[in-house]
Amino acid sequence: MPEIELLQFRGVNTFYGDLHVLKDVDYTIMRGEIVSLLGGNASGKSTTMKTIMGVVRPANGSVTFDGQRIDTLSTAERVRRGIAPVLEARRLFPRMTVFENLEMGAYTRKRGMEFDQDLDRVYQLFPRVKERRNQLAGTLSGGEQQMVAIGRALMARPRLICMDEPSMGLSPLYVEQVFEIIQQINRQGTTIFMVEQNANMALAIAHRAYVLQTGRVVLSGTAKELRRDKAIQEAYLGEMQVD
Amino acid sequence: MSIRLSAITRGKVLILLLAIAAVAFPLIHDNDADIDSAANAAAYATLALGLNIVVGFAGLLDLGYAAFFAIGAYAYGILTSFQVMPHWSSFWGPFDWLDLVQRMPQPGGDVVHFTVSFWIMLPVSALIAAFFGILFGAPTLRLRGDYLAIVTLGFGEIVPIVVRNTDSLTNGAAGLNGIQAPSLFGFNFGVDALPYYYVAIAMVALLIFISVRLRDSRIGRAWMAIREDETAAMAMGVDRTRTKLLAFAIGAAFAGATGTFYVAKLQTATPEMFGFPVSVMILVMVVLGGMGSVWGVVLGAAILQLLQSWWLPDLSSWLHILGNGLNIIWLQQVDLTHAIELIFGLILVLMMLYRREGLIPATRKEPELDVMQQHAQVERGTAIALSGLHHDGDATLSVRGITVRFGGLTALNAVDLTVPSGGVVAVIGPNGSGKSTLFNTITGLTPADHGTIRFGDDDITCLPPHIILRRGIARTFQNIRLFNTLSVLDNVLIGQHARLRTGPLGAVLRLPAARHEEATARAWATEIVSIFGNRLLPRLTQTVSHLSYANRRRVEISRALASRPKLLLLDEPTAGMNPAETLELAEQIKALHALGVTILLIEHKLDVVTRLADTVIVLDHGEKIAEGPPDEVRRNEQVLRAYLGRGALARATADA
Amino acid sequence: MTAGGLLLQQLINGLSLGAMYALLALGFTLVYGILELINFAHFNVFMVGSFVGMWTLQAMGLKGQTVILTGLPLAGALLMALIVTMVASGALGVAIERLSLRPLRNVRGPAAMITTIGVSYVLFNVVLLGVGADAKNYPNPLPPVTWTLGDAVLRLREALIWIVALLLMLALQMFVQRSRLGKAMRATAQDPEAARMMGVEVDRVVVIAFFAGSALAGAGGLIFGLYYNFTSFIIGFTAGLRAFTAAVLGGIGNVPGAMLGGVIIGLIEAMGSQFIAAAWTDVIIFSILVLVLVFRPAGLLGRVAPNKS
Repeated sequence: MPEIELLQFRGVNTFYGDLHVLKDVDYTIMRGEIVSLLGGNASGKSTTMKTIMGVVRPANGSVTFDGQRIDTLSTAERVRRGIAPVLEARRLFPRMTVFENLEMGAYTRKRGMEFDQDLDRVYQLFPRVKERRNQLAGTLSGGEQQMVAIGRALMARPRLICMDEPSMGLSPLYVEQVFEIIQQINRQGTTIFMVEQNANMALAIAHRAYVLQTGRVVLSGTAKELRRDKAIQEAYLGEMQVD
Repeated sequence: MSIRLSAITRGKVLILLLAIAAVAFPLIHDNDADIDSAANAAAYATLALGLNIVVGFAGLLDLGYAAFFAIGAYAYGILTSFQVMPHWSSFWGPFDWLDLVQRMPQPGGDVVHFTVSFWIMLPVSALIAAFFGILFGAPTLRLRGDYLAIVTLGFGEIVPIVVRNTDSLTNGAAGLNGIQAPSLFGFNFGVDALPYYYVAIAMVALLIFISVRLRDSRIGRAWMAIREDETAAMAMGVDRTRTKLLAFAIGAAFAGATGTFYVAKLQTATPEMFGFPVSVMILVMVVLGGMGSVWGVVLGAAILQLLQSWWLPDLSSWLHILGNGLNIIWLQQVDLTHAIELIFGLILVLMMLYRREGLIPATRKEPELDVMQQHAQVERGTAIALSGLHHDGDATLSVRGITVRFGGLTALNAVDLTVPSGGVVAVIGPNGSGKSTLFNTITGLTPADHGTIRFGDDDITCLPPHIILRRGIARTFQNIRLFNTLSVLDNVLIGQHARLRTGPLGAVLRLPAARHEEATARAWATEIVSIFGNRLLPRLTQTVSHLSYANRRRVEISRALASRPKLLLLDEPTAGMNPAETLELAEQIKALHALGVTILLIEHKLDVVTRLADTVIVLDHGEKIAEGPPDEVRRNEQVLRAYLGRGALARATADA
Repeated sequence: MTAGGLLLQQLINGLSLGAMYALLALGFTLVYGILELINFAHFNVFMVGSFVGMWTLQAMGLKGQTVILTGLPLAGALLMALIVTMVASGALGVAIERLSLRPLRNVRGPAAMITTIGVSYVLFNVVLLGVGADAKNYPNPLPPVTWTLGDAVLRLREALIWIVALLLMLALQMFVQRSRLGKAMRATAQDPEAARMMGVEVDRVVVIAFFAGSALAGAGGLIFGLYYNFTSFIIGFTAGLRAFTAAVLGGIGNVPGAMLGGVIIGLIEAMGSQFIAAAWTDVIIFSILVLVLVFRPAGLLGRVAPNKS
């Protein structure tokens, strides 16, 4: 795996009104990695996602993607450059069909050969999605919705997928499927930055991880190191610790 | 302290000067037309004060406010003009004796002429308008703010239509004439502007007084709570229906009394006097002065009247002179007073774009913390002093078979749960497993599809949120729902809403009982905030939106505690706190428990759960998958699987 | 005229009014669907559109009540008037959004709605001061072709109104359902943040919603003039309130709902003024608004929206 930075945060600070959310945050995500971002609710994980996508602008610091500053670019331009989101709680367009949802994923791209190829790829990864393509997205089960959400992100033909709690609200069976598919997508060459609350599970598939607490990165390292670190386990990995 | 005191003194001096100026104005400036304009300005100021209660305090955008003005006007008009004249019968005898009617001899038989005194009608019109305020307000209560605007706009249209089409009562489009002028001790006001001016000034003074008293009371706080966050307000014990209707009623009452004054002054009333343009004009006054700002809206009314009666005519005549000088014909004929409504429109747009808080903003800047306070050593508080929390009653919460569905999604599926009186129960589970829905259902914010919830001996399943709070269950929210534009103190005081009794009358008169209650409430709020040592105490008067995340959580817990709950529901109280802050809060929660508060908490941090809870309940997918002491639950295989997944579990254990 | 004939005649009138209200209601629904904003400026964009239509017809020499063109030249002139009116009204709507509403996009509370009231008032008074308070005679270029259906009479202008309104609504429905931008619009209405994250430029979608809604309101204004044979600065208020009721009745945010609601309101107005009393029309329509809001806030075709609080 060539060691090239794909996404970098340097000293990023963000605010909501008077509230200081991200505090001097640095991340580096290399091409081809799965990187996990761990932390409790209200620790700044979702704000990180929003900052990557350009929904929240940093007050200072820089965000670079593929060597270029992107922190002044519009969300649309970021999607065009190859960043696609899988949003928290899936956030499909409930009164549009599954197919239309996938189309929205490819919104910034021209229709044509590539679109059809990507569609095929999504249908291959998720045969269920193909079966349900003419159904309204709001009528699918949670697990099916998550598959559409991931498929929708793939339709952008992204280089980086940002996932916000992909396991949220899914039954254990689906969680495993989703995590396996994430690994599969990664093996096909897409870099993945994944926010998770479920630390153990995220560390099982991630290469590296950052731990966020009250808006600061308090720990980082390879997944293996973090899994073994006893202190970290007690403090952050665990809603549930494995004895 | 000396600075604040002098600010208050300065305010009082300013008010005194204003009052002297208002009283002296007609004596100094003896111009009947100008005094008449000033009387009109004052009448509009009373309308603006009334609308300010509805729009500014309670946040209910009313676009048909002139309807209540019309109702008050026609109530007086009909009861003092020659429009309605029933045949005389002995029934009217007592009314004649009371001077409310006169017997008028007519060729076809004697008739009744209503002659109800202006001074009686002033409060009676207020009551009639208040009644209609409640009537019009009732169907709109549950509507979103923007629908409310359109419905009130419709009511504002309907009232003139009804007036126009009920000729027998209102003389239709031609309007009422010969409305009786007020008289006082035998002196008839007639058409002289001066007495009307003084009545109007007195009304403005009275309504300012009432507005300020209401604003600074339990009632005003409830209005602002509804305005800021309706859901949180209900969960804190504010009765949404009563609170909103009270705002409509009081706002309408102001307009009703003003309507009576206005037609008494003009001695005529037509439907055109109360149309949409009038509603807009009053709204412009409120927006210009500052929504929620009592002195602001009075200033707004004054400015608009000055604009109409003095500035625009003056400006027009200057333009005429300029036009004559430059020989430009259209400039010689321009009349800017015709553009007054255009200016109203521009004021609305420009104020919203550039100065939404109005000329005199309702919320003043509170003093910043001084350097000493900012750098003071953090003192951790203890909850030992809170004697008022002790309860004898049974605080057992038992949830049986609760099911909640949102569309196709089952958020909770037949969940059972018992919180024993005096216990601490923790609910854990992955995000999206239904924990917050459980809280919402217990507190009455989300209705249950099946199942029962009992608290103590009572079934509380279908009770509205404010009643559930009164029964002794208070909560916090996962994503912190404070009343953002209000101070720490006001937020905590709203938590006490259901425990206080002061009504609108008590608030206005500030009787000893009300004053005592308010003082006790403030003392109690301060006492609660002291649990957190000096973290909140020096910030009591600060707006909560300026606080740090952890301090906002602490305010929310204080607000919930202020209602003296038997059972406290905490939704992730330590989210967004660092380990030290988390530990500190856990100790404080423990201390509260020691004081006799039963606690149900949602928490992700397992060390907190282990430290606090006797029993842990694990939710996954809306179902309870385990229940027991913390240690036992941590070893439960189903729990591990829900949290970890089978494959991941295998890998994680292999690695460890 | 027999009762059946009266009924049929009022059906014809009601459908014509309904077509006009539907066009106007669509503008409310498009903007509300995306911004959750009641756009009071829309009332008077309709009114301005009516004047623009009149001026365009007059500029082409079509004045007063005389028929000077027939056949294709007339059709061309009318089409020209329609296009000019729609483009001008659409541009007005876009200007309103750009100048007065975009800066308030993320402001909580009633600020944006108050601004639209202000803008509406400005338009109203600019027209009042500019052209005067008297009602203006609208050009009536259509030949007096009529068809008799039993006792009732269908005039060419009514048939034309139906066709134009129907075509415009079909075009809008196609645009919203099929085109890329239309889909972006629906996606934004359903979840603005998610749509933005897909790369949808929400500002552009909002501009298109304002353009399309205002253009349709302009077409409605032209229809008003041709139908009633006059226009005036005051026509926006009543028509706007009725069209808003239509949008709510159909389910606000729902395009076919606005069309259905418009037709129902038009029929109620026609039947109500025939069989009850014209003076009470607004009271009836307004009572419907309140009843719908209280008992079925999602409207006839809308889904019951999940509580967003």
